[in-house]
Amino acid sequence: MIYQTILEAIIFPGTFFTIGMGFLFDWLDRKTAAHMQGRIGPKIAGPFGILQPIADFLKLLLKEEILPSHADKTVFLFAPALYFLAPLLSMLFIPIIGPAAIASFDYDLLVILFLLAYAAFVVAVLSYSSASGFTTVATGRLILQYVSYEIPMVLAIVCAALYTRSLSVEGIVAGQSKIWNIFVMPFAFAVYIISLMAELEKPPFDIPSAKTEIVAGWLTEFSGRALSFLKLTKEVGYVFGSALAASLFLGGGLGPEIAGVPSSLLYFVYFMVKLMAVGFLIFVLKTSLARIKIGQATELFWKILTPLVLAQITLVLALIQGGVLVAS
Amino acid sequence: MTETSTTPARREESAGLMQYSVENLVPFGPIHPALKEPEYFKLVLEGEKIAQVIPRIGYVHRGLEKAAEMRPWVQNMYMFERTCGICSFVHSLCYGQAVEELTIYQVPRRAKYIRVIIAELERIHSHLLWVGLMGHWAGFETLFMWVWRDREIILDLVEEISGNRVHKSMNAICGVRRDMPENMESRIVEKMKFIEGRARYYREIIDTEQTMLERTEKIGRITADTAEKLCAVGPMARYVGLRHDVRLNDPYAAYDEIPFDIVTRKEGDVHALLRLRLDELVVSANIVSYAVQHLPEGPVRVKIPPIIPAGEHASHCEAPRGEIYYFVRSTGGRTPDRVKSRQPTMANLPTALEILKGQTIADVPMVLTAIDPCFGCMDRMAFLDTETNRQWTWSGEELRKYGINYYRKRKK
Repeated sequence: MIYQTILEAIIFPGTFFTIGMGFLFDWLDRKTAAHMQGRIGPKIAGPFGILQPIADFLKLLLKEEILPSHADKTVFLFAPALYFLAPLLSMLFIPIIGPAAIASFDYDLLVILFLLAYAAFVVAVLSYSSASGFTTVATGRLILQYVSYEIPMVLAIVCAALYTRSLSVEGIVAGQSKIWNIFVMPFAFAVYIISLMAELEKPPFDIPSAKTEIVAGWLTEFSGRALSFLKLTKEVGYVFGSALAASLFLGGGLGPEIAGVPSSLLYFVYFMVKLMAVGFLIFVLKTSLARIKIGQATELFWKILTPLVLAQITLVLALIQGGVLVAS
Repeated sequence: MTETSTTPARREESAGLMQYSVENLVPFGPIHPALKEPEYFKLVLEGEKIAQVIPRIGYVHRGLEKAAEMRPWVQNMYMFERTCGICSFVHSLCYGQAVEELTIYQVPRRAKYIRVIIAELERIHSHLLWVGLMGHWAGFETLFMWVWRDREIILDLVEEISGNRVHKSMNAICGVRRDMPENMESRIVEKMKFIEGRARYYREIIDTEQTMLERTEKIGRITADTAEKLCAVGPMARYVGLRHDVRLNDPYAAYDEIPFDIVTRKEGDVHALLRLRLDELVVSANIVSYAVQHLPEGPVRVKIPPIIPAGEHASHCEAPRGEIYYFVRSTGGRTPDRVKSRQPTMANLPTALEILKGQTIADVPMVLTAIDPCFGCMDRMAFLDTETNRQWTWSGEELRKYGINYYRKRKK
């Protein structure tokens, strides 16, 4: 039994699966954007260029690694590895092939929230450690953006947790067996998606890595292995963010039973469909928007989205009190 | 010369910057993703706000004016075309017009119309390129891709007419080198209708897309007075309401025979520039359609002797970026005695630096690109001793000697 858990954690649906999904999301992202913009996108490596992200990853691994002379060497070398852990670890709390997640416990949602904050903190430290003009500006933007999006994001997650009366992802998914959270709290879902785009630095929130302003933002000084892993981590974070949205608001792997099909396979298929749907929504949004400025982003999150999600929470609680909605 | 001639300027520059800490200085260029060409802007920041901009030009100085003095009149035409990779035709047109005034020959009417067609196609292509770049700097990649795809239509048309996509090599002194191909009229009109439709569509996008509005509205504000004082030209003058357009104010080629009106806007921000250039696309498309439909019959070129009579003449044209100016002096030889050119980027740079102050660093690419900079056209070189206020020029040989001495001294 213990071996099975270890295998699950490492291969499927754990680390390796997550990394594979990261590559797949990268490819889907590039392909969707390309087709929306009237281009073709990756097409050489593998069928329809599906292996292109892996080829890019391997190529970067082979490249020379340059250490900036001003950088804080210890942080600069180890922080990418610390950053890589965050989304990988978080994925273990999300039920993928059955109602039970690999490393689930009663309050794992708090751990996920901690890991989200941890990832942002590591990026800020990592950015600051490379000590150049561009990364300094990027660090300021990163921290300000994090402070902006974190509150509405956490409130949106809390909204789901409040309604389903559970602080574990497993429990929240199980609580949606009657009705998905998105139908109860559509605005919380919208706020979560917008905050997620800010967390992933996708347009219109690609402010900390705006390439036409501050080169590559906090990634500027990285090269070789560190860069390849940082890029991969961003993609894995993408997968995790979408998976969390699918679990918290779209009912995870829940769906109608089909006779003759094993339930775990069905659960997995439903989960993947929802994961892809969330991912696709973000691909389309990010391709059709321009980048805003950091002040405008902060204004959006604090002045519009935070009150909106607070109103949503109040509404859900009022409906439960009034007996219109039944808390599951 | 000794090397102290450059150090006082440096010393003064660094003394002026001493009050700012190093963290507040962000170099913008010479190699930067937001710049197509190398140019250096030292940004002094206060947080995200820009307190001061110190430009340093001269990275892509090529000495074209000097080179012109060593080449025959006709050859110069194709060399000046290579001043710029985007608005290439209008350079040869402006130089050609100055030279034509020195001769006794008249440019055939048909050639004038063909010149207008090419010049306006070039304006459409240049404005489309710029709109795409604005999308790119604003982080709106989709707009960039779409606009540049539409630009291909213009490049294909230009290729069909002139045989080349970028450097048209279409002009000759007193005429154009090639006649318009047969049966292109209806096709060009149809394509112009399409471009007009696209321009209206893009205008709708930039007017309604919220993220784009937030990046462009009330950014890069300037008043008409300041723009006039800083001698802004072209769209940079028209976007504050000044009616500066050489095509209208001093018509050249066939512009006096073609009915059109220029566009001006009042707001004076980057969004107004976007609107203005997209509106100008419609105007230009209409001019091309009109010129194609009213193309007069006749020859397209007059052959001229290789020697241009003595005299001097200045000419100006409306390039896509604004007014360009060429001065030509002949002593009756096979080569010009002096050619002086002034490109619109040079004229618009003071305005750009003025509107950069007080903007945030996120706006730098937008504002700098807003003037549609073309640094390769613009770069100049001068020697100036700031301590004695002495200016001088060096010949190529003196410059070479200075270089050799400088490195010999450094070796010691």
